[in-house]
Amino acid sequence: MSDMNPDNQPMTPEEQKVYQARQRQRATIMGGLLFFLVILFYLITIVKIDASIQ
Amino acid sequence: MTTASTSLQNLASARDLFALTKPRVMSLVIFTALCGLLAAPGALHPVLGFTAILAISLGAGASAALNQWYEHDIDAVMQRTRSRPLPAGRMDRDTALHFGIGLSFFSVLLMGVAVNWLSAAILAFAIFFYAVVYTIWLKRNTPQNIVIGGAAGAFPPMIGWTAVTGDITVMPVLLFAIIFFWTPPHFWALALFVNSDYSKAGVPMMPVVAGRQSTRKQIFGYSLILAICAIAPFALNAAGLIYGVVAILLSIFFSALSFQVMVSQTSEPADMAAEKRLFKFSIFYLFALFAALVADRAILVV
Repeated sequence: MSDMNPDNQPMTPEEQKVYQARQRQRATIMGGLLFFLVILFYLITIVKIDASIQ
Repeated sequence: MTTASTSLQNLASARDLFALTKPRVMSLVIFTALCGLLAAPGALHPVLGFTAILAISLGAGASAALNQWYEHDIDAVMQRTRSRPLPAGRMDRDTALHFGIGLSFFSVLLMGVAVNWLSAAILAFAIFFYAVVYTIWLKRNTPQNIVIGGAAGAFPPMIGWTAVTGDITVMPVLLFAIIFFWTPPHFWALALFVNSDYSKAGVPMMPVVAGRQSTRKQIFGYSLILAICAIAPFALNAAGLIYGVVAILLSIFFSALSFQVMVSQTSEPADMAAEKRLFKFSIFYLFALFAALVADRAILVV
């Protein structure tokens, strides 16, 4: 990256590829985490409701 | 730095974000928290128990991220930490800060909403203690950094315990004290044989400021206090025979290794066999002690 202009240089095709791969990876992981949290909060709610009934 | 490389830094990889949470340190936190949770009297629904451990882990990860955000300059100097995401230039500081703060709030809210607010309050204080009191205030200003900063690492079993009971009694305080007094011998043993690295980074670790011999004496002193704290649950009838026997044997061995460190005169890190032995054993000590506590409780329940 040393041959790049520090002011306003666009990414090289290789860097763009890395950038997009990271975006995809982060989006996939974030989706998985959100799904996990939906399940977790659902279970917590059921447990809390169950405890309040008993 | 170029605009393109800045863009890549701003979008840190998931692997680097995970590395920012210090997963290896987190494993000890998870273990001690789990032991606190399992050894506590009473029962917590497995879903809530899992959530409590998850919240504690996320809180520990958040503290680690904030620690690395602040210590990027020290990390860049030390061999051991040079390849972390921030000093290696794979992530920008703002990302680490935002990640750490976001994770802190989320972990505390998760604990409060799902488990109880006492545990959430202790978790919040533990994060604050590690990120602000230890990292920002003490670490660069006093050789007692490890002693007081060790309190941050001592909270997880206490939080695990209060997640079940909802109150603080003698036992969670003793669990806190065990890790609190275990930390100085553990870290100073390490600091003795990686001394040069800490000096290079300008961190006032005890061996750098007070010298090796003074540190060695203090290691032995703390190991004796640790032994008292470790045996106290048995002596106070708060733990059974299994824990008592394990605690006594482990503490005798720990004190013996600390004594070897105290009488050692070595100044060459390569020759510090006693210090390396104590460091390795200290990790086993904590795992075995807490495992014995859980085994003791499990047998008592059966």
